[in-house]
Amino acid sequence: MRSIHQTPESITAHACVHCGEPIATGAVLANNLAFCCAGCKTVYEILAAHDLCEYYARETTAGVSMKRRNVREDEFTILDDPAVARKILTFASSHLNRVIWPVPSVHCASCVWLLERFERLEPGVLSSTVDIMRKTVMIDFDPRTTSLRRIAERLANIGYAPLLRLSEEEPGTKTSSVRGLYARIGIAGFAAGNTMMMYIAEYFAGPHGIEHSLVTTFRALSIALSIPVLLYSASPWFIAARAALRGRRINLDVPVALGIVVLFARSVFDIVSSTGTGYLDSFNGLVFFLLIGRLFQQRAFDALSFDRTYRSFFPLSVRILKNGNSTVIPIEKINIGDALSVRNGEVVPCDSALESEIGYVDYSFVTGESAPVECTRGEMVYAGGKAMGRAITLIASKKVSHSELAAMWEASSLLKDKENGKRRSRYLQWSDLFGTWFTLAAVGVALLGAAVWVPDWTKSFSIFTAVLIVACPCALTLAAPITLGTAMGLLGRFGIYLKNMGVLLDLERVDSIIFDKTGTLTMPDYRFSFTGRPLTQDEQIAISSVASQSSHPISRAIAGSWSDRENEFEEVKETVGGGIVGRSMGHTVAIGSIEFIREQCWNEMELGRGREIAAAVAIDGEYAGAYMMQPMVRPGIAALIAALRKTKSVALLSGDTDRDRATFEPLFGTAMRFNARPEAKIGAMEQEQSRGHRVLMIGDGLNDAGAMSAADVAIAVTDDTATLVPACDLILRADSLTKLPALVSYAHRVKQLIAVSLTFSILYNALGVTLAIMGMLSPLVAAVLMPLSSLTVIAISVAGARHFARSIAKEGRAT
Amino acid sequence: MNIVILLVLSSVLAAAAFLIAFLWAAGSGQYDDVYTPAVRMLFDDTIISTEKIPIELNDHGT
Repeated sequence: MRSIHQTPESITAHACVHCGEPIATGAVLANNLAFCCAGCKTVYEILAAHDLCEYYARETTAGVSMKRRNVREDEFTILDDPAVARKILTFASSHLNRVIWPVPSVHCASCVWLLERFERLEPGVLSSTVDIMRKTVMIDFDPRTTSLRRIAERLANIGYAPLLRLSEEEPGTKTSSVRGLYARIGIAGFAAGNTMMMYIAEYFAGPHGIEHSLVTTFRALSIALSIPVLLYSASPWFIAARAALRGRRINLDVPVALGIVVLFARSVFDIVSSTGTGYLDSFNGLVFFLLIGRLFQQRAFDALSFDRTYRSFFPLSVRILKNGNSTVIPIEKINIGDALSVRNGEVVPCDSALESEIGYVDYSFVTGESAPVECTRGEMVYAGGKAMGRAITLIASKKVSHSELAAMWEASSLLKDKENGKRRSRYLQWSDLFGTWFTLAAVGVALLGAAVWVPDWTKSFSIFTAVLIVACPCALTLAAPITLGTAMGLLGRFGIYLKNMGVLLDLERVDSIIFDKTGTLTMPDYRFSFTGRPLTQDEQIAISSVASQSSHPISRAIAGSWSDRENEFEEVKETVGGGIVGRSMGHTVAIGSIEFIREQCWNEMELGRGREIAAAVAIDGEYAGAYMMQPMVRPGIAALIAALRKTKSVALLSGDTDRDRATFEPLFGTAMRFNARPEAKIGAMEQEQSRGHRVLMIGDGLNDAGAMSAADVAIAVTDDTATLVPACDLILRADSLTKLPALVSYAHRVKQLIAVSLTFSILYNALGVTLAIMGMLSPLVAAVLMPLSSLTVIAISVAGARHFARSIAKEGRAT
Repeated sequence: MNIVILLVLSSVLAAAAFLIAFLWAAGSGQYDDVYTPAVRMLFDDTIISTEKIPIELNDHGT
């Protein structure tokens, strides 16, 4: 056995100049530089022409691989439509337009460097600003010189195709809430600093105190500074607490709000009645730290948007044929009966009937089956399939929103929402229970403390309020959000994106892991290996030359591996559904199905066993060998599975045929299932759960969506964050898949970390309450104790989350 | 009137000016993205040689 795909050592040893991926097959050479594909070469040439090659000097893996990209040349034509453009632009005037586009391939400093020099590539662009965390680029341009469409096309040319979304929501709603949070923090911080300064004067005044007029001024000023904090900065907790009480629940927001109010009221009372200095410095500090916790939470949320619908998988527009002319229309406007033209690599937008004689459709995203399906005229082609090889014409039989794909997507995201609702409500129940218990305990202890002093009403009141003040669970509410928020931000740097903070805690409890095959463990594209007698170089060239004349996707893949060779051929004849025969380099070559080749040759065919034959080859009437579909297993999978098997049960659940059983047998043993339909996947998931397991499903396609929404945690593996699966809790960039064991143990550590911070904050609270009961909670003690507890929790959470994240980085280097 | 009061008041006013500056900065979106500027500042300024005339590639629409 030998592989036809071996390329000379000198080229294999190289990585593509543009994208940095190892060059496996069909290197493209230009100016003594090796590229993995023509697409990457084109990008390099564009950048070289504009003197932008510094791009490659910044990061070794700067470029975005163009291999898997398939941009239709009129993909962005629709942007010329003013109605569409209006929905996309965030600002429009006669001389300045602004657009903020999500660009999923933004990933490193080089991307920022290049995209912020975009005006050199496209005249008319005034400025461009990249946000690397949110993966967006904001472009200001002059509509008189350039257009939205030209900008989109230019971005796609250099590998940064924007994700076109016609958003219904108002732009900028999200950022304004962050800005509001900063304003709240600023005001609370300002008040905290200044009141602290004035209180320190009193704390350190010595036995005689400070001058009376100064005391009055300081206290009045402190009240004045604290009022905006109470009314504006602390308002989120009042709103939350009121909502909880209206719903007849008591959650942790209630004791926080209670603590804030009591703290302020008691301080004002003390000051006005001249019985004490009050606790206004502690009050402002408390609100400040609470807001810091909020900021961590907020940060974690706006890292990567997960709200994708089935629409994000489809192009914005489709080419339709009408009276012999082809026009481009938005896919919503497809009417039943329209003739659609779908070219190689494009996605079929709606369920329709095939009008062409023959077509090849790749349903791997929808079903998990990696081999393309052959369809003949009149057959149904379903939305989500990708046309392969040749362009096909279709007659739409359903509207886009009524297709099977849309229905499947909606159903699975609905299921997930329900599932999430259940989970969230469980978390809420726990939090409510804790909040209720906590509030009742605090009020109980306060009443008890007050009762002890009962004849002395002033003392009694003072103890009561002191306990409520010090029991305010500020540090408690900080522990989880700060740890999880920090962890979430750090994980984003390793290509691990969490939907929400709770995912890490769910992940920690998982004990059974189920993998999908196609696209998850293997690359989305397939490759062929040749098995048979040794071929001469002439024969190899002959085979690829003849294969290149066919539009069948398998032939194209065979031909594609020799793209830099000269194609010489004569008399090529293709039999639809059979194969192709042609003469090249003095040989007659036949490539096709087993039956087709059996008719063409005289000798017995020695077919390999156990593996599916993609195409058989006969040379000069003699059977020479066959191409087998060979899964391209992602690197590091064997080590990954072995590492996971140590502690968890691991299984494979594939929608594909069992042709790769032999490849995965050493990894999974008997825990493998093939030919699983989406419903069967859900069934398998529920069966596993009924055995008491907490299941993690790792998949990539829509065919996994049902199973993913049924699973306890769902991870979507993706080569680019643009194509997304509904119902996932976590997105894993394909090259980070090997970090999964490290991620699971990180989740474990994070949970322990939260437990440690919670313990600390409970200890602080207990200490504070003890002091308050004993009547020893002077303003000075409160001013030291309350910020100290918050700072301890923040320090433990941030330092711990960062420290443990190092093990994930190490894991990445080792593989 | 005690001079310390005047001092405290003026210092609080000075601090308030900084607060207003911060609120303006936050309101105008300077804190919307706090990660990218850290990457951006590491870029050296490159001098674009004026002799090289950019080659206009005819690649629109491909």
